[in-house]
Amino acid sequence: MTIRIWIMLLLLAISGGCTNMIAGRFADNLGAAILAQDDPETVRQGVPAYLIMLDSLVLQSPNDAAILQASASLHSAYAGLFAQNPLQAKRLSNKARQQSRKALCERQPAICDHDDGALGEFQTSLAKVNTKDIAYLYTYGSAWATWIQANKGDWNAVADLPRVEAIMMRIVAIDESYEWGRAHLYLGVINSQLPATLGGQPEKGRVHFEKAIALSGGQDLIAKVELARNYARLVFDKTLHDQLLNEVLTTPTTISALTLSNTLAREAASELLATSAEYFEE
Amino acid sequence: MYKLLSLTLCLLLLALQPAQAKNFKIATVAPDGTRWMEELKGTAKEIEKSTQGRVTFRFYPGGVMGNDKSVLRKMRIGQLQGGAITGGGLAEIYPDAQVYGLPLAFRSYEEVDYVRQRMDKKIINGLSDSGYISFGLGEGGFAYLMSAKPLNKINDLKQYKVWSPEGDEFSRAAFAAIGISPIPLPLTDVLTGLQTGMIDTVAASSMGAIALQWHSKVKHLNTTPLSYLFGTLIIQRKAFEELSAQDQTTVTTLLQATFARLDKINRKDNEQALQALKQQGIQFVEPSADEQQQWQNAVANATKAMVTKNLISKEMAQSLQGTLNEYRNSHK
Repeated sequence: MTIRIWIMLLLLAISGGCTNMIAGRFADNLGAAILAQDDPETVRQGVPAYLIMLDSLVLQSPNDAAILQASASLHSAYAGLFAQNPLQAKRLSNKARQQSRKALCERQPAICDHDDGALGEFQTSLAKVNTKDIAYLYTYGSAWATWIQANKGDWNAVADLPRVEAIMMRIVAIDESYEWGRAHLYLGVINSQLPATLGGQPEKGRVHFEKAIALSGGQDLIAKVELARNYARLVFDKTLHDQLLNEVLTTPTTISALTLSNTLAREAASELLATSAEYFEE
Repeated sequence: MYKLLSLTLCLLLLALQPAQAKNFKIATVAPDGTRWMEELKGTAKEIEKSTQGRVTFRFYPGGVMGNDKSVLRKMRIGQLQGGAITGGGLAEIYPDAQVYGLPLAFRSYEEVDYVRQRMDKKIINGLSDSGYISFGLGEGGFAYLMSAKPLNKINDLKQYKVWSPEGDEFSRAAFAAIGISPIPLPLTDVLTGLQTGMIDTVAASSMGAIALQWHSKVKHLNTTPLSYLFGTLIIQRKAFEELSAQDQTTVTTLLQATFARLDKINRKDNEQALQALKQQGIQFVEPSADEQQQWQNAVANATKAMVTKNLISKEMAQSLQGTLNEYRNSHK
């Protein structure tokens, strides 16, 4: 059995790590401009050139954590949301994972000593990360999640899921409101992968989803989509499923940085609603 | 005359009517989106097409219909017509189906392949005689002991908190034979049990340990195959026989092909998952020849006890042993 992993959980982790370098500022602004787009097709077509450009900035400053992070974020976002085929998703997410790892380990070297060893030691090393490095940790965790998704047929990748969970738990412990509570959103998805009959904890997942919704004031529509897709479908709750998705389609949103994400969320909501009757048919 | 005419008409009408469409409601614990579900759904579509819509399937994934026991109960009351059931779960309808799960029965996958080529049919026929059609067995793989504590010595296990599936007399008896009093828990509680320390040792396939996330709670793995796991899709024979002979053949052919495919996929997946466990930092322990022998002797007694308790028939246990001996004698 291959574990089911989220389909669209990438959530555009294009966040800004501040840097005083011109290149770093460019990377930040690029991320902000992409997030504010309301036409996904423009992003799908336009971003690949910027992936190469960010790679060139990395070449120029291979140890600049902020540039590495900006590049990793965009590679990861593109791999998760717009990749044309599985191989492209694998390649881009692999680069995103490497770059985000290097970015974090420039600042927190202990993590790289433990991220492929025993889980307990990895968790201990995570405990040393604090607020000032939260953006790096978040990009590292979300890029790792995208890499797992792109390699979901590979048990080595699936086996890494508890490490992503550990990262997101640490982010929640540092600042649960970071990026509109998206660490909770990842935890919601992770906990809704297995049905309760197999020892999964979908109810715990639901609590995380609801926290993510509350922390964004209901503005991050992806949280509702993933609650419907992962939790409501798993526990066969059609009422909740349809209600959430209808909310996604009718809620007005105002946060510029969530424009692209919310546009994609609405598209996903329409698709899920279209298959609702078939999925929940008695 | 009128009577005869109306009877003829009636028969004629019956003959002209297409065979009634049949919808099979099938439960499985595999969540939607898993390879298992994708394969089953793909086959269901093919069947629907090949039978011009006369045979359709409705799947209930993710364990929404409960565990093996409740799926079988729902099949009895007609709420479901079929379900994907584990080898252990089949005990309720046909105890001898558990034969492959006898402790330490197999030493390698070569032995498994040899035995299964000769004995799968026996199990499938036994299920059919008990009122259930199976379309082939799907490999679950070898279950290995995995623990948060070292597994160098079998004797150490006596001090450990070893899990056994609730209601599974088979594994309970096997552990009892080596002096362990296992802690019975439903599958639902195993991950939490490992987290809280209520249990510290489980038996699972490599794939199962990762899929169920148990791998994150264990540090050691004993490489001796403890038992062989499998699952199968069963449909109530009564419901299946409502189909025309032609549709029965179509369903059987397509589902058999799917299970043969899943069987192979799972073998590969388990091999890869075992490597992944190693890569995750889990220590693999190979017991010494002495230890192995000691364990084999204890388990031989356990098997005898299972036969005495009617958990499995003497004939079936002997048939397995005979087939294994045949293989071992020809591969010395």
